[in-house]
This record gives sequence, structure tokens and C-alpha cells, in this order.
Amino acid sequence: MIGLDVGSTAAKKVSIEDGEIKYQITGTHNWKDLITGIEGNDIISTGYFRNSAPHRASVTEITAAIYGVRHYFPDADVIVDIGGQDTKVIDVKRNNFIINDKCSAGTGAFLEFVANYFKIELKELGSFHSRAKRLPAINNTCAVFALSEMISQLVTGFTPEEVIAGMHYAFARRISFMIPDAQTLVLIGGTVKNKGMLSALEDILQTEILVPDEPQIVNALGALIYYR
Amino acid sequence: MPVQKKIGLTALVPPELIFACRCSPFDVNNVIPGSKKYPRNKLCAWTAIWQEMLSKRELKLDSLIVVAGGDCHNALVDGQKVEMSGVPTHFFFYPFDGDHEYLESQLYKLVDFLGTMGSPEKPGEIKELKEIGKKIDKKRAQGKLSSGDVFRIMISFSDLMGDLDVFRKAISSLKEQKVEMNNRVALIGVPPIYHDFHDVAQSLHLQIVFDELPFEFLRHSGTDIHNIARDYCDYTFARPLDFRIRFLQKELEKRHVNGVIHYTQFACHHMLEDEIMRSKLDYPMLTIQGDLPGKTPEQIKLRLEAFREALDRT
Ligand code: SF4
Repeated sequence: MIGLDVGSTAAKKVSIEDGEIKYQITGTHNWKDLITGIEGNDIISTGYFRNSAPHRASVTEITAAIYGVRHYFPDADVIVDIGGQDTKVIDVKRNNFIINDKCSAGTGAFLEFVANYFKIELKELGSFHSRAKRLPAINNTCAVFALSEMISQLVTGFTPEEVIAGMHYAFARRISFMIPDAQTLVLIGGTVKNKGMLSALEDILQTEILVPDEPQIVNALGALIYYR
Repeated sequence: MPVQKKIGLTALVPPELIFACRCSPFDVNNVIPGSKKYPRNKLCAWTAIWQEMLSKRELKLDSLIVVAGGDCHNALVDGQKVEMSGVPTHFFFYPFDGDHEYLESQLYKLVDFLGTMGSPEKPGEIKELKEIGKKIDKKRAQGKLSSGDVFRIMISFSDLMGDLDVFRKAISSLKEQKVEMNNRVALIGVPPIYHDFHDVAQSLHLQIVFDELPFEFLRHSGTDIHNIARDYCDYTFARPLDFRIRFLQKELEKRHVNGVIHYTQFACHHMLEDEIMRSKLDYPMLTIQGDLPGKTPEQIKLRLEAFREALDRT
């Protein structure tokens, strides 16, 4: 039996063999390669395209995230999943979830937009942040206006590193509005590797944020565990 | 028999009095869920679309009654735009404090605007229909009628399809069926702008057993102005939030709901109530914010499905 997560940018396959987690990741358009030789009856699917793949059962990425995160942190009470297209906040204890998909400002798409502006790779945002000496205030919550605010901070003499750090704070503040009080807060999704964003969010929420070892495969693993 | 005047309503206005004045009510929101319009200058699509259609005479009515007090400011402003375009318009106010004498004076003004009460027996007939409506609502909660079918009848209690005979026929065409009740859900806030919402929810094993606003449409009645004022002054949407919440707590308990869907619109003040609803109503709650009309979008189906999975776990 495998867990298969076909999301909007990547596809992941997870199996548990002799208690050990095995996984494989590829681009969404190659998702079929992951299941060659595997019967539909042996697949538990999740992700945006969960119903396009053959499956024995399918489960939404929200529920899969809960089961996947619990594998790493059984006490998790709030899960924040910052994806490329949306940000989901799952309040596990209260069985609530909030999804922001109306506006790009609190999603990975905004970070990509900023990285593009500075002509750097998305994964470099974190190291830029770590070199900042000062923190300019970016107040706008709209992605486009925030960018013009960032440009004016550059004009007034802040370095790109500092402006990126300020932007991470603006981003984290926006997300923090969606997050309820939590004892154990877990962050998943593509942006978890951005240490700058992570520390800004920890600073604003004044809590430690946990990140699973393999954040990319959490949902595929969760689908599998859900069915078991 | 003279041609009946067609009177537009923007929200709950006692249809009893409109029929009593020998006019035919028409809830302007009826045309929205099926509309393909992209209105200019929009906050909430509900008001923006009727405003545009009325101002451009794509929707022809003899006059319009705008619920000003006890509804939203979007409706108040858009109603004034319709008035400026030349449609005779009357503004109707509910009292925030439930003062029935005030409401009675509003009802007299409404009758003045409409003409005279030539058919004073109509409110009594409507009261009987609303009693039937309450039974239908109960049967749905017992799993004997489909959620979507009942919703379509309940929502029509705002204008009774403009014709009591037509409405009676619609009610009698409801077919009883056995509905498997997996998850009993209450839908609070404003009615979804998606025409297939209840059916989609049902297909995802969420059975809506309470529709907050449509239930208000059939909850209030009266046989004369005095009684109508005494009953409609408890219209929960016009009253303070704690009044509305107390009412909701009772209804949700009665219906043994497992979860609540709070639906609001983009740019709707009801969204500000979300955190209060979450803290006061002790149920798993899903919040949905809609925007333009049409079919239920995929993203919203995902939320519904995840909510169902969450309810399955409780
Ligand atoms: S949905 Fe909200 S904003 Fe729109 S008409 Fe209703 S109350 Fe007003």
C-alpha cells in the first residue's frame, strides 16, 4: 500500500516497509511514473489531483496533513501549511481550519514574487534575511502594495537583506492573524525551509514552531496512515 | 382584475402586507445565483447584481422596497442607486431593540407606499402556508426530505413566488424520500450564492438540517399589522448579536447538529461575526466566503469534504 500526494507542483509517493518510511518525489506532470506497476487498489491518494489518480480511497490534503503531522508530533494542536497557492491553518484540537486562497499575500506565491524581484532563488530568501542588521517596517498586507513599500525602503537606504527581513515579518504577521493559540504549532509546506520566515513567525507568535524532518512528504504519509 | 404591481424586495419584508395590498412581491435575490453578470463597482455580488439589473431595467419592477435598517449598508447604498435611476423606492427599517411599536409604524408607512390593504385576508392565508413550511423544515431534519428541495421552498418564503397558488403547487410537488443522515449540519450566515450548494453538500455526505436566514422567512407571520409587528420584531438578523446567538443555540440543539457552516460573502459585515460565532457556538465550524454566483467552486468543495472528514473523526 502507498500514499500518493499529487499536488499542484510536485507528486510524492510514500510507503512504509519494515517500519521504515520510503519515499519518492517528482514534478506533478510526471506523477504517473510514481505508480508504474502499482494497482489502484493499493493507492491512497491525496492532494489537489487526488481524484485523477487511481485509488482505493482518497482523502483531502487537510485531513492527510493532520495524520502525517501526528506521526512526527503526536501532540500537534495547530498545523500551518504554507503552500504555493494557499495557506491552510488547521486547528486539530477544535477541528477547525481556515484557508486563505483569496489573496496571494500570505502564500508561497508572494515569496516567489519577491525573490523574482530581487532576481534571487526562492531558497536564498532565508540567508538574505539572516544578514540583515535592521528591520524596516512593511505595513501593507496586499502583495502588490507591499512590493512598492519594499521598493521605497530600498530607496531610503535599507539593503536588500534588510528589506527581505522586513518582508518576512509582514508575511508572518499576516499569517499570524489566522493562527489560534497553540501549545504545539507545526509548520509544513514548501516555505518551511525559509529560516527567515520561520524565525519571523516565531518572533511574532512568541512560540517555538516545530518542523517535521521530511516536510514535503507529510501529506502522502498522512494519507497512508489515515487509511491504515 | 387590474394588473398586479410587481414589488421588488431586497431582504425580508413582510410579504403578508404586499399581498394584502394586492401587489405581487418579488425577491430580487432570486435572479442572482443563476446570473452570469460581472457587476461593475461591486462589494457584495448579491446587492451589486440586483442594483445593476434594476438600474438598467434588465429586471423590470414597478417599485422596490429596500431593507435599510436590519440589513446591510451595501444594500442601503445600492438601493439608493436604484432609486436615483428612477425606480420608485421605499426604505424599510427594522428596530435594533425589537421595539414593536416602532415596527408597526414602519409597517403603516409601507402600506402607504403600496396603496391600501384591499385583501386583508391574505396574511391569514400566508400564516397557514408558513405553518406548512415549518412542518417541511421539521421533516427535513428527520431525514424525510432532501436538503436542497426544502431549501428551495424555504428561501421562496420571502416572496411566496409572487403568487400563493403557484407557491402552494410548488410545496405540494415536494416528494418525500429517505435521506441517509450522516452529518447533520447547520448553515448559518447568509444563503450561499451558489445555486447547487445544498446538493453539493449532500453529495459529500453533509446534510443541511438548518438554514438560518430562510428559516427566518417562514418563522414570522401575523394576521394584521399589529400582530405582524409583534412577531417580525424578533427577526434575528436585525437584532443584537447576543439575541441572534441565543436563538441559534436553541435551534441547533433542537436539531442535533454535528457541525456548523458559517457562510458569508466577500465584503460582507457578517464575516466580522465569524470569531464570535466560533466562540459562542460549541460545534466544529467551517467558514466559507463566497463571491460571484454560479456553481460551487472546487476550492469550496475541498473545504466541505475536509469538513466532512473532520466530522467523521469526532
Ligand atoms: S451577503 Fe452581506 S454584504 Fe451581501 S447583501 Fe447580504 S448582508 Fe449585505
